[in-house]
Amino acid sequence: MVVINRGAHAEPGTSLEFKTGNWRSSECPTHIHAKAPCHAACPAGEDQQAWFAWLQEGHVEEAWRELVSANPLPGVTGRVCPHPCETACNRVSIDTPLAIHNVERWLGDEAVSKGWAYPVEAPAEDAPCVAIVGSGPGGLSAAYHCLRNGLRAEIFEALPEAGGLLRSAIPPTRLPRPALDAEIGRLLALPGITLNLRSKLGRDVLLDELKHSHAAVILSPGCGESKEWNVDGAVPTDLHEGLHLLREFMDHGQFPEARRVAVHGGGNTAIDLCRLMKRHGVEQVTLVTASALPGPDTDPNDLINVVPRELEEALEEGIEIVEHATVKRLIMKGSRVTGVEIVALKKLLGTDGRMHRIQFEGTERVVPVDMVIPCIGERVKADGLHNLLNRWHYLDAKDAWSRTDLDNIYAIGDSRGDRGTVAEAIGDGRLAVQAIAANLKGEADPQADDRPEMPAAGLNKVYFGAVKRTVPPKLPVGERTFEAEIEGDIGRLEALREATRCLSCGNCLACDNCWVMCPDNAVIKTAELAKDGSHYLFDLDYCKGCGICAQECPTGFIQMKEDTWHEGD
Amino acid sequence: MREALEGSQAIARAVALCDPDVVAAYPITPQTHIVENLSKLVAEGDLHTEFVSVESEFSAASVVLGAAASGARAYTASSSQGVLLMAEVLFNIAGMRIPLTMTVANRAVSAPLNIWNDHADSMAVRDSGWIQLHCENNQEAVDTTIQSFKIAQDTDLPVMVCMDGFVLTHTMEVIDIPTHAQVRKWLPPFVFKRALDPSDPKSLGALVSPDFFPEVRHSHHAAVDKALPVIEKVDASWAKTFKRDCGGLLTVEGPEDAKVGILAMGSTVGTLRTGLEHHDGPGAKLIKLRAFRPFPADALRAAVAGLDSLIVIDRAISPGLGGILGSEVKSTLYGMPNAPRIHNHAIGLGGRDIPESIVGDLLSSIEDPDAPAFSVFDADLSMLPPEDR
Amino acid sequence: MTTTDNTKRVARLAELREKFGRHPVEPQEKHYQGGSQRDRQPRFCGLESGHRACQGCGEALAARLVMECAGPDVMVANATGCLEVFTTPWPQTAWQVPWIHSLFENSAAVASGMEAAMKAKGKNTKILAFGGDGGTYDIGFQALSGMLERYHNILYVCYDNEAYMNTGIQRSSSTPHAASTTTSPAGAERMGKRHLKKDLLSIIAAHHIPYSASASVAYPADLQRKVRYAMGIEGPTFLVVHSPCPLGWKHDSHVTIEVARRAVECGLFPVVEVERGAVANVMPIREVRPVADYLGMQGRFGHLMDPNDPRAVEELTHLQALADYNISHYNLRGEGEDPADTAGITLVARDRAAGES
Repeated sequence: MVVINRGAHAEPGTSLEFKTGNWRSSECPTHIHAKAPCHAACPAGEDQQAWFAWLQEGHVEEAWRELVSANPLPGVTGRVCPHPCETACNRVSIDTPLAIHNVERWLGDEAVSKGWAYPVEAPAEDAPCVAIVGSGPGGLSAAYHCLRNGLRAEIFEALPEAGGLLRSAIPPTRLPRPALDAEIGRLLALPGITLNLRSKLGRDVLLDELKHSHAAVILSPGCGESKEWNVDGAVPTDLHEGLHLLREFMDHGQFPEARRVAVHGGGNTAIDLCRLMKRHGVEQVTLVTASALPGPDTDPNDLINVVPRELEEALEEGIEIVEHATVKRLIMKGSRVTGVEIVALKKLLGTDGRMHRIQFEGTERVVPVDMVIPCIGERVKADGLHNLLNRWHYLDAKDAWSRTDLDNIYAIGDSRGDRGTVAEAIGDGRLAVQAIAANLKGEADPQADDRPEMPAAGLNKVYFGAVKRTVPPKLPVGERTFEAEIEGDIGRLEALREATRCLSCGNCLACDNCWVMCPDNAVIKTAELAKDGSHYLFDLDYCKGCGICAQECPTGFIQMKEDTWHEGD
Repeated sequence: MREALEGSQAIARAVALCDPDVVAAYPITPQTHIVENLSKLVAEGDLHTEFVSVESEFSAASVVLGAAASGARAYTASSSQGVLLMAEVLFNIAGMRIPLTMTVANRAVSAPLNIWNDHADSMAVRDSGWIQLHCENNQEAVDTTIQSFKIAQDTDLPVMVCMDGFVLTHTMEVIDIPTHAQVRKWLPPFVFKRALDPSDPKSLGALVSPDFFPEVRHSHHAAVDKALPVIEKVDASWAKTFKRDCGGLLTVEGPEDAKVGILAMGSTVGTLRTGLEHHDGPGAKLIKLRAFRPFPADALRAAVAGLDSLIVIDRAISPGLGGILGSEVKSTLYGMPNAPRIHNHAIGLGGRDIPESIVGDLLSSIEDPDAPAFSVFDADLSMLPPEDR
Repeated sequence: MTTTDNTKRVARLAELREKFGRHPVEPQEKHYQGGSQRDRQPRFCGLESGHRACQGCGEALAARLVMECAGPDVMVANATGCLEVFTTPWPQTAWQVPWIHSLFENSAAVASGMEAAMKAKGKNTKILAFGGDGGTYDIGFQALSGMLERYHNILYVCYDNEAYMNTGIQRSSSTPHAASTTTSPAGAERMGKRHLKKDLLSIIAAHHIPYSASASVAYPADLQRKVRYAMGIEGPTFLVVHSPCPLGWKHDSHVTIEVARRAVECGLFPVVEVERGAVANVMPIREVRPVADYLGMQGRFGHLMDPNDPRAVEELTHLQALADYNISHYNLRGEGEDPADTAGITLVARDRAAGES
């Protein structure tokens, strides 16, 4: 029974008895942990947004630990990865993408110099052991993730040193050997990983044996030989193919004599080769590629598949690149090449619904050269794997976990034929091991991360200003040699500054906007982390569902979703 | 101490004796001398108060509202148009049950413009829910002013002390002004239980829906009604200390057996008293009504018992009805056995002088069987064109 | 105060806290640590949840923001209007500070009385007066002028939503030119309000008071800085806060902030600070928007959006000219990036302290 007081006055804060939460008509604000596009785009599975968040809070080692929870080789990928994360970065809608690779590299180097311990524990003595064939990035990643999943790893490497293509096919100007050695060395020294060098599959160890001696086998042999190449059946007698030339040069520092060279292909090997030859003294180096150079209208599927900055540097260094073209005919004098006829070409959709490379008659021209170098890709060397290779000389992997048709045998990285980057190999290694671990425990395959991705349109860009991207120093063209790393170190100060550019797409950055802008005082700030990892709770007893918090959330972390609240909840 | 003082000056002194925390006022004739005198007291250091010289009567009322709601003893004064400009706030103050005091130096309300005395202003706000007390002379005005602060805080109601403009405000009389010590002893410090206070932050002036409004209104009505005994008690207490009273709710004078009575409010009472003293013929009872709101129905019925005729003097009219006081007296006596016949006249509108001789005219008028139930008694209708009479 | 009184009061505070969560704080007790999350908010809550403002109410937000940095040692006089009605339906109130509503046009005068009372009692409690644009630009204008002239120690805050919203969206002298309201409807013969928005701030400034300013709910940090600044001044101060009304302006409730922001960015609502009559500071506009960006979001200007109606084009151009005038009059065009300009002041960064409890 209401008792009316004198003058009808009211006691403070009594409106709390009136729950305005039932005013919401359909939707209520919800914290949605969407994937940041960098994370979604990372083949290695890194959550760049997550580790940038640690950096934004000034916790460098935590950032590194977050990073290596997916990728144990940041010092390597920070140098060699074509960083699709940067391509995907939503900051492009404001100014320029974050310099993710520079910061990643710095974090990797920082961990090496500070000796930070990898977030792994030694596996039990009797833990199941996974055999890993090949010690390239895929194999190394697989071995590392074995430890993270409580398994032991035994690596079989044919060569006398670990590293795979990181060592054999990437010039030190991109990946200095000390950096490579330090990171790989720390990884291989982890307890629970055994490395057998000079153990070649088919010669020193057999797949059948491994199948029986180990809990599972991960094949990570890489692609050790070049694809066959000819032009209408013609092959120069002194044919030098790209990967071979590159390896020879890295071993002996020599190229065959040539003044003018045409390289046919469009990958990192082709670019590396072009640049090394140019630097070695070849007057004219022409790259003929069917793909396109990056431009505002370039279809991503048509884009030349090389690290963007490598491409830039190549152009700086005077490499001529002929895009959308192919070698149509070799002009021979006897068995020697004197020129190549090139023709314009594009990938177009045919009437059969598939993409075809169409050459355009009448666009032919001749480029005089005295050497033509095919660099059109590599395939798996058959050693010990004859029965498993498909007709294109790759290993068939059936699913995201890299299973093959054979039980407990997984094929990862370049050897799958549908990969092409170090990061992909690293991601494959992690996923394959996660599947193996689940399998051994009798569990289902780990769930894929199917969270939605946060598009640039989901951000409120009002709250982010344009901030110039940090560009670390580079060696001037004239000073570039065969050893010194071309791209410089970003350094601590700039790395931390660059981290502040991260938009935290889809994740709370504790900006307080929701808390500050709620007209109904229905956002509660928590001192400790709330269950969902943010610092805010919605008091749905009072939230009227106006949607201001979602609209003004800079990162898209708050979204209006179907209301499942009932009064009295 | 007895001093010869102008009414307004005396009121200012009385107010000062009550230690008001906040005084707010806007000048209007004939209230001006009150606020001038208060200002002077402040300027001379004889009164320590926050004197807020507002930009309108509307703000004057609003300021005292805010001040009293904040726990301050507050005072204002006005007249005529000023009272009407305040009207919205006056209702608000009363509805919020905020205790404070206002002096109304009664004056006619324009148009036509007229600055002289009648009761049109306070009558216009009779339904605002204030207590309204009328004073016969300046001694009563001084005493009632001091009493009003006590009545206000004892009832949680605002009190309007009505005194006739010019007739009282501008007239010099010998007045017994109590000492500060006496008043401090008699009048307790101001207390307002619902005062705004950060350590107990109430909200005043809430929106009240139809679910509760009639109850809130009733409680206001009941509160004003219940102020009747408070007014009497306070006057009695005053009399005990100061050896004089202001007549409680109403007073009755004259021969016990008189068959005719005259009822009036304010300074007119004094004129009528003198007139009766000088009038030859059968005596008449003189009823001085001090409390107009609350209206002392029971006291009035007792006062008129035995009368055949009652002349009710109004100092304001409600055009189309007649006398306001007359109508209220009639309605009060309705159904009373042997109720006197009511003769209702408005006199002295707009400051028209009321001569003592009017008593004879009034008394003889009741003999006229054709006399109208109401008249503007001292109006010379011959001055009006026939169609406007 | 006697010991008994004090004991009683403490008991009463405890009782209120028990019942309503965070409850009345002693003026000197700023951080009451209660039991619930709601109690432990690191800010003063002067305006509680449970009030009846519409979804996305700009005025409710503005009042909440003002109270946060004004309270708890304040008392509020509130003019009649939405803010008063939606916060205090008896027997409830959303206020956690002493609050009084008297009438539409007298909040400045009531506040004057409250301030006089505080002075008389020797207390330092600051008095706030709140009004909408109707209660400030129009009906309460005289009382406000008087309050400023008498130099009361009061912060007057006008929540400007540019029409009489509580009575159903009637035009006020603050309604912008050409806006359609229920008493200035657009029709065959009329293009909304025929008159201009009153330049209240200049009139206020002419009172030569220590400080007056405009602010917007789109820029809470700026708004709160101004409140804190004004709170520190002994004397009359005035703040007008641009507060969108989704119902009256006819926009979706979730874009309240965006609409307010655009009003500033296009120049129609200049955010400025005036000290002793002189413009002391302005919020520069980093990138000036066309007025159509702001007007186009609101139904009240819908009649101006028809490019084929020459009258619409004329009024739109007129509004653009008014915005351009403001920009030039107050010199709102920034010179390069400025952390205090319309873009700079909104920037967010991860709260480094948030992760550390």
